[in-house]
Parts: sequence; C-alpha cells; structure tokens
Amino acid sequence: MNEEQKKGILEKYKQAKQKGVKFYPDIIYKDILISFALFIVLVIMAIFIGVVNEPKANPSDTAYVPRPEWYFLFLFEMLKYFPGEIEWIGTAIIPGLAVLALFLLPFFDRNPNRHWSKRKFAITFMTVIVLGMVGLTILAAATTPEQEEEGVIANTMSEQIVVGEELYSIHCVECHGPEGEGGEIKGVEGLEGVILDPINTEDVMYPFTDETLYNIIDMGQPNLGMPPFSTQFGGELSPAEIEYLVTFMRYTWDDRAELPEEPVAAAAIPTLAPNEVPSYEVHVAPIIKRYCISCHRPGKKNNNYTMGSYEEVMTSGDNAPNVIPGDMTSILLRTLHREEMENIGPMPPSKALKPELIAIFERWVAGGALNTAAEAAAATAAGAGGTTVPITATLTITGTIVPGSTITPTIPLATSEATQQPTP
Amino acid sequence: MTSKFVTWLDERLGLQGIYDTVFDRKVPKVNWWFTLGSASLFLFVMQVVTGIFLSVYYVPSPDHAYDSIQYIMNGVTFGWLIRGIHHWGATLMVIFVFIHMLRTFYYAAYKFPRELTWVTGVVLLLATLGMGFTGYLLPWNQKAYWATTVGTEIPGTIPVIGPFITSILRGGSELSAVTLARFYSVHIWFLPLVILLVIGIHMYLIIRLGISNIPGKDD
Ligand code: HEM
Repeated sequence: MNEEQKKGILEKYKQAKQKGVKFYPDIIYKDILISFALFIVLVIMAIFIGVVNEPKANPSDTAYVPRPEWYFLFLFEMLKYFPGEIEWIGTAIIPGLAVLALFLLPFFDRNPNRHWSKRKFAITFMTVIVLGMVGLTILAAATTPEQEEEGVIANTMSEQIVVGEELYSIHCVECHGPEGEGGEIKGVEGLEGVILDPINTEDVMYPFTDETLYNIIDMGQPNLGMPPFSTQFGGELSPAEIEYLVTFMRYTWDDRAELPEEPVAAAAIPTLAPNEVPSYEVHVAPIIKRYCISCHRPGKKNNNYTMGSYEEVMTSGDNAPNVIPGDMTSILLRTLHREEMENIGPMPPSKALKPELIAIFERWVAGGALNTAAEAAAATAAGAGGTTVPITATLTITGTIVPGSTITPTIPLATSEATQQPTP
Repeated sequence: MTSKFVTWLDERLGLQGIYDTVFDRKVPKVNWWFTLGSASLFLFVMQVVTGIFLSVYYVPSPDHAYDSIQYIMNGVTFGWLIRGIHHWGATLMVIFVFIHMLRTFYYAAYKFPRELTWVTGVVLLLATLGMGFTGYLLPWNQKAYWATTVGTEIPGTIPVIGPFITSILRGGSELSAVTLARFYSVHIWFLPLVILLVIGIHMYLIIRLGISNIPGKDD
C-alpha cells in the first residue's frame, strides 16, 4: 500500500467520522444494553440449565468416552481424517498453519478494498472454513457415543451417607456384619471361620483418618484376607463410591461426628401397625437390603438365591420357591429361625436377625407375601393382618443413634479432611 | 461543593482529558455488530468476577477439587449461581469473541491502519480458548479428566518434540496433582494477565485509531 492510498483511506475515515455520532452516549448505550442482555441470559442459563453434575475423576476407568469441550469438537473430528502415521498433519500442521495465517492475515491480504464486492475470494474462503468448522462440530456431536450411565452421584453429605450405607450393605456386610460389629465370618468363600474385630468402635474410628480408611478399602488388606475394592485393583467400586463409604462409616460410627437426620430416616424401616399387612416394597426390601443382599447377589455363594427384586425373592434359587405365600414353613422363614436343613444353613449365617425383624418376615408371608404397598393396603382393609401386636422395629444404624435423638458431640473432625467440606 | 471537588480531582488526574478522548469522541455511524467487542469485554469481566468468587472455595488438588466444587454447588449460598454463570460465561465468551472476529474480518476492519488491533485480537482468541481448555480440567470429574488426557495427548503426536510438549503440559507422564496445579495457575494467573494486558493494548488501539466505518461501495 503506498502513501497515496493510506492518505486516501485516512481522509475518507475522517469524513465518515464527521457524519458520525458521539461514542458517549450513542455507541456506549448499545454496548451497555448488550451487556445487560448478556447478564440476563447468563443468569437464566445458570438457573434453568445449570451445570451437569459429573462423577468424580476415576483414572482407572478407561472405558470412559472422552468428550472435549464443545468448541474443540471440530478439531477432534478433523483428526479422524488423519489416521495413524499422518496424524501429526492434523494435530500440528493444520492448526499451526491456521493460527499463523490468522496472525499474518493483515499482512498477506494486500487487497486495499474493504467492500465485500471487491473481496469475494477472501469472504468465500473464510465462509467455507467457518461452515466447515460448524459442520465438523455437528458431525462430532452426532457421532460421539452416549456415555454409559455412571453410578449414583451423591451431592450433599446426607446423600453421600445414604449411598455409602447402601454400598456398605452390598459389599461389606457379609464379612463385617450389618453394623460393623465383626465376629466370625460364615458362608464367605475363602474366609470361612475368620474372626473379625469390630470396625464400628473408637479403636478404629479414632486412629484411622478418612484417608487411611479410603486406602484400606481401595487396596484391601491382602495379608488379612480383605480384597481390594477399587476398580483399579480389580474390585467393583469407583473412587467416589469408596469416599461415600468412608463418609458413611465416619458419620455413623465415629461418636465425634454428628449424623445428619436424613440418612437416619432413610435407614429406618417403616413401622408396622397391628393388623397391618406388610408389603415387600415397604417393609421387607429394606431389611433384605441391609442384612441379606451382601451375599444374595450374583457372583456369591448363595445356592443361586438372589434377592435383588420381588421376583427374585419369590422365584430364584436352587431350592425355589423359598417363599410360599401363606406357608409358615417356607424355607426362608425356617432359615431365619436358624433351622439346619440339607444344603441350607441358618440365615444370616453369623448371627440371627432381631426377633422384631423376623416377625416382619413372618407377618409378610402370613399376609400373602405381597409385593406392593397398594396390595398390602387392600389386604389390610380386608382384615388379613392376623396379629394385634404392633411392631415398631426401627433399624438403627448403630446402637447409639436413634432417630429423633439429639447427638451433641461437636469436636471438629480433624481426621476426616478427605470428606469434610471446608466450612465458610 | 461537588464541582469544587471534581475540579480538584481534575487538576490532578486530568479527568477532562480522559473524558474527551475516551467518551466524547466522534465515531462513524455503525450497527449492532459493533457491540460484539464490548460484549466480549463484558463477558471477560464477568468471568473474572465470578472466577474470583469461585477461587475462594476451590481447592486445586486431586483429593479435594471435586469435593470443593460439590461444596460450592450445595454448601455455599448462591455458589451454584456463581458457578453456573462462570460455566456458561465461558461458552458465551468463546462464541462472542469468535463472532467478533468474524465481524472484523467481514468488514475488513483488520486493514490499514488497524493491523495491530487484529494481531492483538488473535492473541485474545487463543488465550480465550486456552482459558476454556485449562478451566475444563479444574472440576476434576470424569469428563474433565478424560478430555484433558486426550487433549494433552494430541500435541504428543507431533514428530520429535511432541512427547516433550505433552510432558510439559502434564508435568509428568500421566495426569496428576502436578497437572492440576499447572492448569490451575495458568487458568487463574497466566492467561487472565495476558488477556488483561492485551485487552489494554487492543482498547488503546481502538480509541487511538477510531472504530472503522461500515465499508461503503467505494471503500
Ligand atoms: C477477549 C477478546 C476480545 C475483546 C474483549 C475485544 C474487544 C474489542 C472491542 C471492545 C472493540 C471495539 C468495538 C467492536 O468492534 O466491537 C474491538 C475491536 C476490534 N477487535 Fe476485538 N476484542 C477481542 C478479541 C478480538 C479478536 C479475536 C479479534 C480478531 C482476531 C479482534 C479484532 C478486532 C479488530 C480488528 C477491531 C477493530 C474493529 C474496527 O475498528 O472496526 N478482537 N475489540
């Protein structure tokens, strides 16, 4: 561009300014208006779309399908066209050249004209590139496989405790007992007869930090027979799940921690009124979940009797049916009363259920072993309850914490940084 | 009284001069596309403000990052709102900076005498994308972890120096606490300072050269 042209451009610009407006207020008011609109849009997006809650990073979960932020998707998609040996053309050469071209654009675009009709090549070129980027982004979004559903994500402390408790029931009860009380292990392959110390006392809770507990669950204690539980070492639990477990243990068994009310309520078994017919859904399932499911799930030694759903409870197992509606000699009831049968031992193997819990099973079978609360309510109305003794079995997580009671210890939990949230 | 005070300040700060050059200047008649730059600026300011609030509670370590975010979302009053604005603000900023670039391209605003405005703009575009890339890892969730694993693998394919770049980005051979620490400091110190500085130059140039006019048939 020669001096003549430069002068011309500056002269024309001066004229354009003369015919123009003042920055304040004419221009700035538009800027402020747009900014304000953007602010509203942001608040609306934050409120109504929010941020999707993702599970915690799990470095051992290599099955996870990586998805970059959406504005990098086009780059990702482009790489697919440069497989193997020539991948670096897509990863280095093309992006490198593109950035270089952007930087140098004002210097190699020597066309002095500014009106679109005199720069058709530049405009077409840019438009093709932008459309290509948009196209690749859409293509990438359409072809990325759906993420498989991940485990539950617990947000609040209470949710974490509830989830942790469920995980405890599934993975730990068979050896450590429903309340962490330990004792002799029965019916667990390879660990038969091993005697476990309780893990619900201050002997464990005080000296072990959350981190220690995490590591024990994570890696197991091979010399003591405890297997590793994290997926990284061949177990079934993600890091987040192990953290929920630790949180559950800390808040239920450490008397320096105060258990929030929601998890207590979640763990309680609904009370049963006199003459009320119990249902699987409301009364039986919570007991099974807490005391039985640890062994009665696939992959465990259990005569193929799995108890994950009503159907399974009623029909699965080598000795099926274990539950016959109305039959008080159903195998299930006999095992609860610790009767020795051929191939079938007393249940739960190490320690009898509390009598009030056994009574719920009995009244359930007597009442027809009904599934849903609605069926049970209908049966109750028809007077099939059969007993006048009220059953108010409340499942307490430990012997010390009862729903409704207030627990006062408030020594700060110096040992539990891993799950304790920072306090503002 | 007020005017006396203002005069006193003006004598020392030269407020009138600032007002005359920044606000009371003549500009050509332009359209709404010319608001995209200040929209980008506004979004950047929003990111800085919400980001500062987030940094109060966020803990940049693999052990605590995820929990600290959960706490921001559930424990801190309006923490979810601040994080939501920061999250969507990032996306909007990328969109607005990009469209702002397109508008200056289509209006040929990068030509004489505004070449340097464009060059500083490209730095801003890259820095904005860098903010998105580094910020994505910080929540330390599955998505963050695996996207960054792949993202840092990409430069590794460059012949000869590739693996070296990957190990610089990660601070080791794998994603670790070091990676998180690096991304965090780049996200809250290096890039914001670069953006701040370059926005300063960008704005100086815009005020000095004036905003370009909409190209007419004879331009
Ligand atoms: C954080 C990012 C950015 C901010 C905050 C920003 C801010 C602004 C503002 C406020 C203006 C004046 C009004 C307008 O045209 O909208 C402007 C003009 C301009 N910007 Fe940016 N910008 C950014 C990124 C970019 C990028 C990525 C480019 C191009 C690669 C760019 C190139 C330009 C040019 C050439 C002008 C002069 C336009 C004219 O005089 O007509 N800017 N910028």
